[in-house]
Amino acid sequence: MHHKTKTWTRRDFLRGTLGATLGVSLMGSKFVTAETKQAGKSLVTLVRDKNAMDTGNTINPDVLKAMLDQTLIKCTGTSGAKDAWRSLFKPEDTVGLVPTPHLNPTHSEVVDAVKSSLIEAGIPEENIKNAQGGPDKPKACTALIAMPGLKAHWLTGIGTVLKNYIMYSGTPRKYHDANSAKLGEIWNYPFVKGKTRLVLVDALHPLCDKGPQPDPRYKWGYNGLIAGTDPVAVDAVCLRIIMEKRKALRGEPWPLSPPPICIESADKVYSLGTSDWNNIKVNTYGWEEDLLLG
Amino acid sequence: MKWDIDNNGNPDMKHILTVLIPFLIVVLCLPAILSATSQPSGGKMTESKPALPKTVGSWTRPGSPQLITAKTIFDYMDGAGELYLGYRFDHLEVYEYKAPTQKEILVEIYYMKTSDDAFGLLSLDWGGKPADLSQQSHEQPQPNSSGSGWPRALYGKGLLRLWSGSIYARIMAYQETPESKDAVLTLGRAVVKGKRNLPPPELISSPPDVLQPDWTLRQDSVRFFRTHLVLNSLYYLGHENMLALDHASEAVTSVYEKKDSSRAPSRIRIIKIKYANFDRARSALDQFHASYLPEHPLQENPGSANELLNTFPIEDGWLAYRLQRETITFAFECPDQETARAVVHQIK
Repeated sequence: MHHKTKTWTRRDFLRGTLGATLGVSLMGSKFVTAETKQAGKSLVTLVRDKNAMDTGNTINPDVLKAMLDQTLIKCTGTSGAKDAWRSLFKPEDTVGLVPTPHLNPTHSEVVDAVKSSLIEAGIPEENIKNAQGGPDKPKACTALIAMPGLKAHWLTGIGTVLKNYIMYSGTPRKYHDANSAKLGEIWNYPFVKGKTRLVLVDALHPLCDKGPQPDPRYKWGYNGLIAGTDPVAVDAVCLRIIMEKRKALRGEPWPLSPPPICIESADKVYSLGTSDWNNIKVNTYGWEEDLLLG
Repeated sequence: MKWDIDNNGNPDMKHILTVLIPFLIVVLCLPAILSATSQPSGGKMTESKPALPKTVGSWTRPGSPQLITAKTIFDYMDGAGELYLGYRFDHLEVYEYKAPTQKEILVEIYYMKTSDDAFGLLSLDWGGKPADLSQQSHEQPQPNSSGSGWPRALYGKGLLRLWSGSIYARIMAYQETPESKDAVLTLGRAVVKGKRNLPPPELISSPPDVLQPDWTLRQDSVRFFRTHLVLNSLYYLGHENMLALDHASEAVTSVYEKKDSSRAPSRIRIIKIKYANFDRARSALDQFHASYLPEHPLQENPGSANELLNTFPIEDGWLAYRLQRETITFAFECPDQETARAVVHQIK
């Protein structure tokens, strides 16, 4: 078998040469950019409240609203939720909400809380759309809020932020090829690029193995919201939480297989953000038990 | 055959019918009798459909299931569908049981082409408590409910997974309660009712319990699979299908452990693959070698027509492979060359 392009194997991970190999292998792919990333660390905000869900996993809407307000304030550095939204969106924006639609979906309570909060901030209700689906969805929006549920994924390692836009490709199954290394490409599509003003992850009841099919043995009440403007950094924090939970369950490291190549690829090839933990600052608020940030 | 004759010299119809009717009944019913007791041929089965109760506890199901085929499985479960297509998937029937004051119970019955494929799906995770789904008993912690050493049903936190003939099923209560647990197990019993317990794939017995001198099999690590996407979810080698795996392949992977009181146990990964014939196996090995070991020349073993054994030092230890007729056995992460060589010799 002759390889026209360099492929990557387990051995690239072991050598620490994955980034370089990915770069060579994916060069020539559509929407690869070599943009200079923002200087400084990427800020990721994590807010948790142990009362966000009860023992039956029913969400307390008042607690959730308070969590959302705090997440927005801390993430944007403003003094209130309305100011936070107004720093991200204008009233004339068409704002697309992009939740995980099924199989460990984003809680409807989270989507409703975001929508209500946007309306309170002056975004007309008719300007707020559900933007999860095919390419026509983001095309109809001027701004997006990525709102995935936190979960592991048997094909990609992690199926959270970067995977959230896979339907925008129009050919989602193709993006499972090559260990889903090209997921970042979708974020650079002309009708997607630059529209994501906020990434808000529903980390209330995450799934740390066997995703996307739900498996109650691997779900737990983390009771968190995770937010940022750097999708790669947010996904890296989500990955850390999943990995630490897996380690806690087994009592020893329990690596994801396949490894979540999409995160490093989104950083090194598609320049969407940083996957380097040294360049990520995580600010945590609220419930501190089992933070799982290592 | 002699017919009775009546007083007019005509055949006695009453007698004739007395003889013919039972004969006709048997002839007309024979196809139904044969299909209900279909015999597996090479593991392939025509699986009879389970009769799920309309109501179980507080839950009721709709009249008919949602039918999912290979073409529609992605609409139903996105990328999770690739897992089932990675085995020989035929179709899926989905029932959603609803109750007025409790969360739903989801029943997914995966009809696979063979019992081996159904076993393979269950083998992906041996976690949970073995559940005895025999008709007269409730859940009991019996590790060997099948007589084969492998559990046929596993329950944990509201999810029951089972293998029965060529069926793999997931029955999941979205909220575990004592009542939902009873309902889930009742539905499990309904799925397996009347089905014969077939043996697990032959290949699954090839990893011995011990590899000399002191490597012990982790029973919970044994997996049966066919395709490279599934392999990568178990032990990532690379994004390409280096080993030329497809639905015609049969493969087993397992982990052996050597405990060391002073530190974390050492582990070796074994992968054994059976191809359709020697040529396919040899071609796959050449392909793997070119992709995974490009810097190491492949050494032919003189005098061995259909056998080949090589060992190589790589980043995470010694790798060995042994090609023997249509089978390749790999040992990864071995601590030294001698162990690598010895281990692949011991996997029959």
